[in-house]
Amino acid sequence: MRHEAGERRVFLPALVTRLARRGAQVVLEHGYGSEIGLTPADYAAPGLRFGDRAEAYAQDYVIILRCPADDALRLMRPGACLLSMLHYPTRPQRVAFLRALGLEGISLDSLKDDSGRRLVENLRAVAWNGLAAALSALRQSYPGQAFEDPARPPLRVTLIGAGAVGAHVVQAATRYSDETLRGRLAAADVPGIRVNVVDYDFTRHERYLRPLLAETDLLVDATQRPDPTRPVVPNAWLADLPPHAVLLDLSVDPYDCTVDPPVTKGLEGVPQGNLDQYVFAPDDPAWDRLPACIDTRQRRWAASCYSWPGVHPRQCMQLYGQQLQPVLRTLLEAGGVAQVNPDGRFFERAIGRALLSRQPA
Amino acid sequence: MTIPRTIGFPRMMKEPGEKRVFLPEFIQFLARAGLTVYIEEGYGSRSGFTFADYHQGEEAIRQAERERIFQQDLVLVLRSPLREEYGLLRPGACLISMLHFPTRPLRVERLRQLGLHAVSLDSLANDISLRLVENMHAVAWNGLEAAFDVLERAWPGLRPPHGGPTRVLILGAGMVGKHAVEAATKLGNVERYQEHLRASGPGSLAITVGRALTRQPERLRELFSQADILVDATQRRDTSRPVVPNAWLDWLPAHAVVTDLAVDPYTLDTNPPVVRGIEGIPQGNLDQYVFSADDPNWDKTVPPSVPSAQRRTVVSCYSWPGIHPEACMRHYAQQLEPLLEPLLAKGYAALSPGGGYFERALYRGTLTAWLKSGEYAARPR
Repeated sequence: MRHEAGERRVFLPALVTRLARRGAQVVLEHGYGSEIGLTPADYAAPGLRFGDRAEAYAQDYVIILRCPADDALRLMRPGACLLSMLHYPTRPQRVAFLRALGLEGISLDSLKDDSGRRLVENLRAVAWNGLAAALSALRQSYPGQAFEDPARPPLRVTLIGAGAVGAHVVQAATRYSDETLRGRLAAADVPGIRVNVVDYDFTRHERYLRPLLAETDLLVDATQRPDPTRPVVPNAWLADLPPHAVLLDLSVDPYDCTVDPPVTKGLEGVPQGNLDQYVFAPDDPAWDRLPACIDTRQRRWAASCYSWPGVHPRQCMQLYGQQLQPVLRTLLEAGGVAQVNPDGRFFERAIGRALLSRQPA
Repeated sequence: MTIPRTIGFPRMMKEPGEKRVFLPEFIQFLARAGLTVYIEEGYGSRSGFTFADYHQGEEAIRQAERERIFQQDLVLVLRSPLREEYGLLRPGACLISMLHFPTRPLRVERLRQLGLHAVSLDSLANDISLRLVENMHAVAWNGLEAAFDVLERAWPGLRPPHGGPTRVLILGAGMVGKHAVEAATKLGNVERYQEHLRASGPGSLAITVGRALTRQPERLRELFSQADILVDATQRRDTSRPVVPNAWLDWLPAHAVVTDLAVDPYTLDTNPPVVRGIEGIPQGNLDQYVFSADDPNWDKTVPPSVPSAQRRTVVSCYSWPGIHPEACMRHYAQQLEPLLEPLLAKGYAALSPGGGYFERALYRGTLTAWLKSGEYAARPR
């Protein structure tokens, strides 16, 4: 994946060599895996070889976690199939481009079971990795360096959004996102963490939300907003937070000032982070680089990352590999994506839901 | 038994409020899969289903008396039959049910002695140990729905006299606790929530604390004093001690509703004894799951030796998902269908921990796997 330098996720040998053992001819781009210290020997399997970038993209199936850039997609052959996080609903231009290239797609984020539950996801890592970064920032900003002081009051986390990510946030927060740290602080009788959870729909009530902000050490946005032009917390309201408070952005919506009204993050003014930098001090120059249409006057410590699961690449890819393995097995056993019956067995139905060719025009 | 050819569905002989049965579409699915399906006479009648609803002209679906139901190759029932009924199964037949192997050693021994095969639905897990047949969502939502129902009767429109949002204090942040948070922020019911939104109601605030804070009474006292609903969603490591001693309930406002989602029993004749997470509250079931502080049935499930002087309204149910039986069983059937496929194709004895995704999950739920596990081997017998 050629994104930021901090993006080190690759599919691990356990998944890749299993594909080869099941009879697939596998081509890995030269250097694949080196980002996390894996060597060609780690991937050694009959039917697997390393090749250049063009060769890797010229196969019947191309598997890559984050969607490649347009120039890489042009290396694919018409009729080939791309397996990646394609995010059809929010990326209409990407969908059109893939169709124009004559490609089939299987969007990993659209692989769902009969009840609509995603089969390839790592929302737990979104919450746990984000919380770990935010609590690390809070440790620095907390008054008097008293983060581990038994005399301090319980830490107060305010979580906006109680959906799938929010549920993991509650669990991560009450455990300091670190079981070892939790055990140590509990043994020392350091008060734990109290999490206030607010539903998104009630955040527009100023009289409801602003008093909560004044009593918040860590503010977390885990919402899925129906309207990305309306912030969950306008930048001006952040003034109510204590000076040491930390903002955590788990929704990772972008800013876009080219549309009217502009698209904004849920916590207005928070810089957009990535795997190269995901913690921002109040005086970080990243705040000043945000588009002019965004109000950033109220600043606190902030944590934001486009790919929170990528903070721990091996753990992330081990999970994705486990989740993806039965999907790939189904593809192989069916004899290819064209032979998959969208009304067939469990994983065939899941693949059917994720096919580009079955998305509405 | 090699490849199963028949399956029996006995009625659940539990409390009258237990109305859960597998739905006609699931029975039809099994018939289409090649099984001859026997359902017990009267199956589903408490929910208004007739045999015709199940049969739908399908010759492979038949009804029979209870003894014959238990004579089939597979016997599927959500809650376990009585241990005395296990003897009705044929040796080599397979019982599929919520069997809870880890906490029911007598049940395990009985199954083993009778030479039965068994699959415990609560032990079916995928490669990352996620349960594949579960309804934690319904545990949390149905419990919170009952709690908000109680409050709404006192506070029409859920507008608390204190003027703020309804405050829900949730103890425990495990699987059930996570669902409880969402249910609490949605007032336990999405339809009620939408109406509340339209009426510009004050909403709710869910407050969760972890284990560190639940050990600090002075901190909890303040939280309790402000709670409109107290939820026990804890998973205790030590079930011999309550999370909330009965005396602490006195800190709650008089109107507060205690919501029991942990549903641990009182079992005082074991060593150490098992007590409930919130001390002194009754254990409900599908016949009665709301107990006012002066309920005459309070003491029926609370042993006299357990302190229970401090009382608030309690909602508690051994089977929260059973509150909405059809939705529950549709959910379970959806989860079960892909899991049954390898069993029907290969038979119990041929299931392998190295098979496909669902076969591996199914194997983990078998009695065979449990008897080979280190956890079973370590038990005194």
